[in-house]
Amino acid sequence: MPEPGDNTHYAEPDPRVTGAIRYAQDVELPDMLYACVVRSPYAHARVLRVDTSALPADVVALTPDDVRSLGLYGCQIKDQQVLAVERALYIGDPVAAVAAATPRAAREAAELIEVDYEELPAVFDAVEAIQPGAPLLHEDLAISDNDAAYFGMRPEPQRNVCHHFRIRHGDVEQGFAEAEVIVEGTYRTPSAQHVPMEPHACLAHWTPEGRLEVWTGTQTPFNLRMDLAGIFGLPQEHIRIIAPPMGGAFGAKTFVRYEAIVACLARKAGRPVKLVLRRDEEWLTLNRHPATIHVKLGAKRDGTLVAKQVTCWVNTGAYADCGPGVAQKMGFASPGPYRIPHVWVDSYCIYTNLPSNGAFRGYGATQAVWASERTMDLLAERLGLDPLELRLKNVLVDGDRYCTGEVMHDVHFADCLKAVAEQIGWQGGRRGKGLAVLLKGMQTPSRASIVVEANEDGSYTVHCATAEMGQGAWRAIRMLAAEQLGVPVERVHFPVPDTDIVPYDTRTTSSRSTYMMGRALVEAVRQLKENGELGYGECVNEGGLDPDTGQGIASTHWHQGAAAAEVRVDEETGKLEVVHLHTAIYAGRVVNPPAAQLQNEGSMIMGLGSALFEEITFSEGQVTNANLSDYNIPAADDLPRLTYELIERPGAEIHGLGETALPPVPAAIGNALFSLGIHVRDLPLTPERVLEASERRRAAPV
Amino acid sequence: MARPIPAWLAPTSLEEALELRARYGEEAIVVAGGTFVGILINQGLLQPAALLALRRVRELAYLRVEDANAAGRPLLRIGAMTTHRALERSPLVQRGWPVLASTFALVASPRVRNQATVGGVLADADYASDPPALLHALGASVVARSPQGQRLIPVEELIVGHYETSLRPDELLTEIQVPGGLEGAVYRKFRSRSSEDRPCVAVAAVRREGRLRIAVGAVAERPQYFPEICALAAGQPTIEPELAREIGERYAAAIDPLSDARGSAHYRRRVIAVEVRRALEDLNRIIAARGGSQSHA
Repeated sequence: MPEPGDNTHYAEPDPRVTGAIRYAQDVELPDMLYACVVRSPYAHARVLRVDTSALPADVVALTPDDVRSLGLYGCQIKDQQVLAVERALYIGDPVAAVAAATPRAAREAAELIEVDYEELPAVFDAVEAIQPGAPLLHEDLAISDNDAAYFGMRPEPQRNVCHHFRIRHGDVEQGFAEAEVIVEGTYRTPSAQHVPMEPHACLAHWTPEGRLEVWTGTQTPFNLRMDLAGIFGLPQEHIRIIAPPMGGAFGAKTFVRYEAIVACLARKAGRPVKLVLRRDEEWLTLNRHPATIHVKLGAKRDGTLVAKQVTCWVNTGAYADCGPGVAQKMGFASPGPYRIPHVWVDSYCIYTNLPSNGAFRGYGATQAVWASERTMDLLAERLGLDPLELRLKNVLVDGDRYCTGEVMHDVHFADCLKAVAEQIGWQGGRRGKGLAVLLKGMQTPSRASIVVEANEDGSYTVHCATAEMGQGAWRAIRMLAAEQLGVPVERVHFPVPDTDIVPYDTRTTSSRSTYMMGRALVEAVRQLKENGELGYGECVNEGGLDPDTGQGIASTHWHQGAAAAEVRVDEETGKLEVVHLHTAIYAGRVVNPPAAQLQNEGSMIMGLGSALFEEITFSEGQVTNANLSDYNIPAADDLPRLTYELIERPGAEIHGLGETALPPVPAAIGNALFSLGIHVRDLPLTPERVLEASERRRAAPV
Repeated sequence: MARPIPAWLAPTSLEEALELRARYGEEAIVVAGGTFVGILINQGLLQPAALLALRRVRELAYLRVEDANAAGRPLLRIGAMTTHRALERSPLVQRGWPVLASTFALVASPRVRNQATVGGVLADADYASDPPALLHALGASVVARSPQGQRLIPVEELIVGHYETSLRPDELLTEIQVPGGLEGAVYRKFRSRSSEDRPCVAVAAVRREGRLRIAVGAVAERPQYFPEICALAAGQPTIEPELAREIGERYAAAIDPLSDARGSAHYRRRVIAVEVRRALEDLNRIIAARGGSQSHA
């Protein structure tokens, strides 16, 4: 019988290696057409006229008139139509689309569509976008009925704010009055691209009975179905989403991306229509939220934290997407895993004329940790304390209350910190070394359900909506099922999720799937063993925050981790070299060690890219580096010595680990620089910024 | 349709290639490895009527060394269609012109180097490529051929501006000639982002017959060379630290750097001073390590 963690029974050939795997972009249907999207060249413009008269007769075109009467959509705020009907809101906003016999014919046809625009004033910076007189992107901000709108939202319609999240805990004014030392500063994180190896791909088809069938690379099949139902005015069960494995997603393949456009084209064409994005279009589809975060932190002279005030300006781009959720998670991650009696947080999710920003591995935590953990080292320096000691003095332990009021349980922040400090040689001298700790919530509330079925041949089939995007979730769930059923993992099948068959699941995000499905599975297997045929199990986590006070249950299950870095700086050029990077994350119990290790390594490498050079650059709203020559991601030669540990405890619960190691990496590297007196507030840590900061240090009296 | 598929001209001999080049002139974009032209076409920046592909002109892929000529220098002849990878891995080049092998090994990634050609990278005249500055400092020349004949163009006269060369519309770049007789040569690639990125500042420094030649790449539209500054080191077997610093600072002052995603003009100026000085320090070490004797290359 296979043991979770034992990979010696990995007898199956890996379909990714053999080429047998069929990704979303490999799906084909007879007679299908290929789509191409026509995009706005203006950051903000009225769409006056879309002229398709030059198109060849065999090309199907979709124009604003075709979609005007369809429903608005948006997973949290209903602010989007299938095409930009009245106004285009960013450079790249789809204003029309075509379907033709080949991808090339579609591209060429798209160039024949003429669109007249009236250019309007645009705004790109989140802080500027909420100033009086800034161009207004959306008149009405209706809260979505999609279940991705799972928390109370507080849009401020006349000022480009789609959500204002608050934490009000204690009396922050009194707290700062009691503080003996106060440090503050503003920290910025730029936009970044997910760069999944497989671009967005989907295929839509209408059955003769009028059902819509969509094959798409998606992490959110049920949320997608809900929004498509709203757009087309169909009952959800008239829509079928099939979610093949993806060649990477990292948050980019969530909610409605191009499925609605392709479905409209397919309906008009009366044939299946498929779209696979070009690489450059990825930068126009979904990116990471740029954020500006102001932190003010007060402490007693002995290092006891007393008050913290944080303001986050979160740039969600032209459409809200899940930006309100990102702003909220950024807001409640920004106090950090510390006991602080007085906390005040304002996190604003703000529209600008940039491409939409959405879920990105780390989901707001990267930006929050950058600001928060850099501030901790500033405080340590001011107090003359060891940054590790300062953290350990204040860090949350079991039984403490977080600033949301919830009591923490199963928390291991101190263990993570001690582990990374030891591996980086903290006691041997702190020069050139830095560390950072992370607390990150898991989707709360949410629900996972699963069906396990016994087959005639003695094998079993798991029916489960969890998306496979390279993270190994299918394998992990199969291993857990095999363990509980007492069969080899090869005897447990996991077919491609199909919403006609699989039971409901919230979505494959926030590193929740192995944990939540693993729990749902226990009941499903118990039932199956009882009746010999079929079992159903579900796992629900309840909670949520009051949006006006931030009090309640932010997360039923915390992702916890720490990173430590050792760096060297070329003082003459500012070039930063990371010599050693170590992370320790709390895993509770690891199901599939090789996959878990690779997941963690991937997180660290993505964090390294964000720390050192990843940044989407814009010129008046135009992405200027939408290719992999101008937008760098880490290459093998960029990697430092990478080490890590996944902390397990006997009898512990599974803890999600898909994202945990990423957010603390930039902050650990920034703190390592700070140990050399080099204080950089903006990511990435380019040599130019490092040189500038190292000169500020020389200029300043120490 | 909006964009007709470009005609794909694929000659199999140099003679045929020259004839097609003369016939189509600028209407046909020459494709060598395609790593640059491919990007331009995919990005819609280039919509050529025809592509003149040289991949099948096998006679243009070669590496040969000619023995010492009258001036006492050997000469490396590189066929224009030689890939970066072939140059980097050639024992001939590694032995005689190690700086060439090690510099070409720094370009992009092995995937790119298996495609990109030596002739292509010079004809592109892209300011951010590695090889032009080094070949400039090495005093390399290229052979430009047309049906009318051929001429030899020094690299410093070949690249005249951003993506601009002095090649005539009926000429093909067929060969690169690199003279030997080097006392020492060094190439420093300063990257501000990924290791696979192009340089932010590139410095090539070469010493031959007592004369120093420094070319700085990736900072302006073409490699930057200032003979009067290099002349400060004339006749000095070892460049003293003070002089190295001075030459670095003078180069930084003489160059009007550009700004791009890899660094601002202000920052580049700072790095030029540092990297030129370091290149000279490296050069001193290389020459000293060879006991002051003239090396083959």
